[in-house]
Amino acid sequence: MDSPRPRSPLFKTTMAFVLIALAATIFADLEISTIHPWVELKRLLLGVVTPDFYATDNLGGALVYTLAFALLGVAFGNIFGFVLSLLFFSRIVRTGCAFVRSVHELFWALIFLQLFGLSPLTGILAIGIPYAGIIAKVYAEILEEADPAPLQAIPEGTSRASAFIFVRLPDAWSHFKTYSMYRLECGLRSSAVLGFVGLPTLGFHLESAFSQGLYSEVSALLILFYFIIASMRVWMRRAMLPFYLVGAAAILPWGLSFSAENIWRFLTHDIVPYPLRTADGGDVMANMGAWLHTMLIDQALPGAIATMQLTMIALVGTGLLTLVFFPLISPLLFKRPARTLGHAFLVVIRSTPEYILAYVLLQLWGPSMLPAIIALTLHNAGIIGHLVGRYTETIKLRVDACTGIRRYGYEILPRIYRQMLALLFYRWEVIMRETAILGILGIMTLGFYVDSAFADLRFDRAILLILVTALLNIAVDIISRRIRSRLRLQTSMEVQ
Amino acid sequence: MTWLKRTFVLSAVVTAGLFSATAMAETFVFTAIPDQDESNLRTRFEKIATYLSKSLGVETKYIPVKSYAAAVTAFRNNQVQLAWFGGLSGVRARGLVPGSRAIAQGAEDVAFETYFIAHASLGLKEQKSFPTSIKGATFTFGSKGSTSGRLMPEFHIRKSFGKSPQSVFDRVGFSGDHSRTIALVQSGSYKVGAVNFKVWERELKEGKIDVSKVNIIWRTPPYPDYQWSIRGDADKNFGAGFTDKVRNSLLSMTDKDLLAAFPRSAFIPATNADYKPIHDVAKSIGLID
Amino acid sequence: MTPVFDLTNESAGYRGATVLTGVTLRVTTGERIALVGESGVGKSTLLRLLYGQCRDRASLIPQEFGLVQSLTVFHNVYMGQLHEHSLWRNFRNLLRPVQQDVEAVRDVLDGLRLEDKLFSTVGELSGGQQQRTAIGRALYHTGDIVLGDEPVSNVDEHQARRILKILGERKKTCILAMHDRALALDFADRLIGLKGGQIVLDEPTAGMTPDDLDSLYVH
Repeated sequence: MDSPRPRSPLFKTTMAFVLIALAATIFADLEISTIHPWVELKRLLLGVVTPDFYATDNLGGALVYTLAFALLGVAFGNIFGFVLSLLFFSRIVRTGCAFVRSVHELFWALIFLQLFGLSPLTGILAIGIPYAGIIAKVYAEILEEADPAPLQAIPEGTSRASAFIFVRLPDAWSHFKTYSMYRLECGLRSSAVLGFVGLPTLGFHLESAFSQGLYSEVSALLILFYFIIASMRVWMRRAMLPFYLVGAAAILPWGLSFSAENIWRFLTHDIVPYPLRTADGGDVMANMGAWLHTMLIDQALPGAIATMQLTMIALVGTGLLTLVFFPLISPLLFKRPARTLGHAFLVVIRSTPEYILAYVLLQLWGPSMLPAIIALTLHNAGIIGHLVGRYTETIKLRVDACTGIRRYGYEILPRIYRQMLALLFYRWEVIMRETAILGILGIMTLGFYVDSAFADLRFDRAILLILVTALLNIAVDIISRRIRSRLRLQTSMEVQ
Repeated sequence: MTWLKRTFVLSAVVTAGLFSATAMAETFVFTAIPDQDESNLRTRFEKIATYLSKSLGVETKYIPVKSYAAAVTAFRNNQVQLAWFGGLSGVRARGLVPGSRAIAQGAEDVAFETYFIAHASLGLKEQKSFPTSIKGATFTFGSKGSTSGRLMPEFHIRKSFGKSPQSVFDRVGFSGDHSRTIALVQSGSYKVGAVNFKVWERELKEGKIDVSKVNIIWRTPPYPDYQWSIRGDADKNFGAGFTDKVRNSLLSMTDKDLLAAFPRSAFIPATNADYKPIHDVAKSIGLID
Repeated sequence: MTPVFDLTNESAGYRGATVLTGVTLRVTTGERIALVGESGVGKSTLLRLLYGQCRDRASLIPQEFGLVQSLTVFHNVYMGQLHEHSLWRNFRNLLRPVQQDVEAVRDVLDGLRLEDKLFSTVGELSGGQQQRTAIGRALYHTGDIVLGDEPVSNVDEHQARRILKILGERKKTCILAMHDRALALDFADRLIGLKGGQIVLDEPTAGMTPDDLDSLYVH
């Protein structure tokens, strides 16, 4: 059957991704393996409505640490990200940034735990380093998009630095501020999640409470967490920022020292592949070959396949769910009271770190890919649904436009579709980073093998697997960029 | 933009503070592998910290960690000087810290056991020999770094089936700790699990286990497990004879309340050599290079 | 008189497309020139061509103003002397304006009726106010040549005459593209007409009437 007109590239790309995701779903393990999955859910819901704020020891401390790591980590990322964005013309800087941001902050934390132990540096750098890579890229894009007209008008002989601070920086500055706020929100999520690997933030207690089934405590911790994020615009005043930063630095337990010797040993010994490290002549090459075979064929390959599989399903799932979520906050489709509810719903699901969402669902349904898919899809559709919903606010419909489902299908969908795809392709790389990390929860993505290597204190293996993860991530980033430029998709920065 | 100026000054202050962070005062710090419910760990080890402070005459602090590996790393990096390790984590830790020693173990740790437990729906009864009928079921270990929850059960699974657990079972998981293993098998999330026998017995006594849903199907032969290990440089940093003092404090711990929390009946002396079998098993199944 | 510009048979374009061809033009110091012609005929291109030849002595008032939207009027005007000050002085002015520079800028703005907007953000100003800010920046520049692309298009005629007068007083050489023929004839002493990417008219304005320019606008 021939189509009367050629299919648009947007349509073809969409279909290709849907087909890949379908194929991935066929091979995915989606079993609900718990016998009474809903009993636990009932207990969880009961806990949610009966929060217990007194159950956690040192809750205040966890709260303050969560804030402190987020503030300092994001400040670090901002300062270095800004400096790097100025050097973004250099290929080395661009590649370096792509690399550091392709490694999830939880993996960075696992590495820094080896270098600095539980010293606050671990938390600050785990957030700060990948964020510097992300921020450098976003800031470089912002600076690039700055209006070039004033540059034409500044006098000959003005130094590049003066021209920069007067022409480029001021316009970019307000974008930097908006983006920094968004990053801080991400930083709070990251900071909380770092508790899962042992930093003294909310996640530390959250993990304990979850694993013991103390859902009232879980509920209290999550409520506090949402409260911090929701109230951010109230307490995050720039006049207060210096005091927050100094306060944060003052409050962290710097007493836990670390030695240069550890760092040196980690870098020169621990991460050197075992056969090379213990080389005593003879079979080094053969041993190295066997080691690489184990790592690449038995671990990296199955891990990479599962990671891609989960990524593709979650990406397409996010797209489908976005189509359901964005109308909830669109003024073109719903009146205010309904929209307020929609906003509240989207705030909650996008503020909940996907890691925590997956953790809950895993407890409920058992360890298949299903909880991971649902968690990633919900969280990301919450974010993109929000952005697309906001985007519909800028659409002006003719007065006599049709209503209801027809309006959705004929008036709105065609207008937002390009924007939505752009957001999804930007998000692709992020989803991939998140899938890798879900391995720590027992889903057999690359993260699972990384976590196992850390559990076995085999840092040579861990680093190799993290490198594979990073390469996969960079590959997805490149493919996404190609598709975006081929389809001419551009969008705001708040999804990176 | 006066704000920018203020931030510059203050960030300079912060940076300065960051690098001048001084080494901590001489506090004796210990940790423990997080092998069961964390609330238990906390209460248990804060009491021990108080006890040790008093009997050693040195300020002693307990820091909680989230994983077995984190406990080993903290020990290796001298952020803790003493640790309550499992068999495997102890072997790993002492392998990484030259001169470190196992100084005491629980009286029960000489002959520790792992229980294989199963959900009632499998209809399995306890038996003398390894229950090969669990093939094809779903199976959960405890933590990836646990001796009783990972090393020994994996060793017996490999010995009986000649294959890796991943190829024996329909699905293999790592619950994270022993309390969780029991809960997961009891709820049916996994049909079979391997659990530290002391944790099983304590939870049974506390009435946390519903025996109509989960029961023991096999007990492993005994092996050496938990022990207190101390860094080799403890005497240098805390004074000559400090290691002996720590050992004596642990061995003379008679308070039932303190011991019951572990739960052990008493602590007895231990040496590195006691754990040679664990090292060999770990090496044989590829958990140690 | 020394020539400021001396173009012989020049061509220039914009984004790969040739807009101007075979332009020959000689301008001497002290001339006041009006560029006229239909929109799209190459006035802006000619101005940029000229600006490219004397960037060190000239200031430019682009048609779209070229202002930094998020800075204040003071900062935008101050940018006219960005090259005269050290990086440190520029940076200080960005954070907290130096009194001395504020006074200097205030002097320049005198007559442009922007004194009360000195510390308003440019992005919040009307088109006319933005245009006057761009003129202020050109005036603050120390060079004695000004090139303006429709510099008074957004202000009323009365104000336009006053601004043109100020420009004429403070800059030796003025070359302004203008669409208001009467205003152009009043201001300039030499008139250059463009059509089809070429100079078709180059005469003193003395004795010309607006109607004399009709040929420029007829196809």
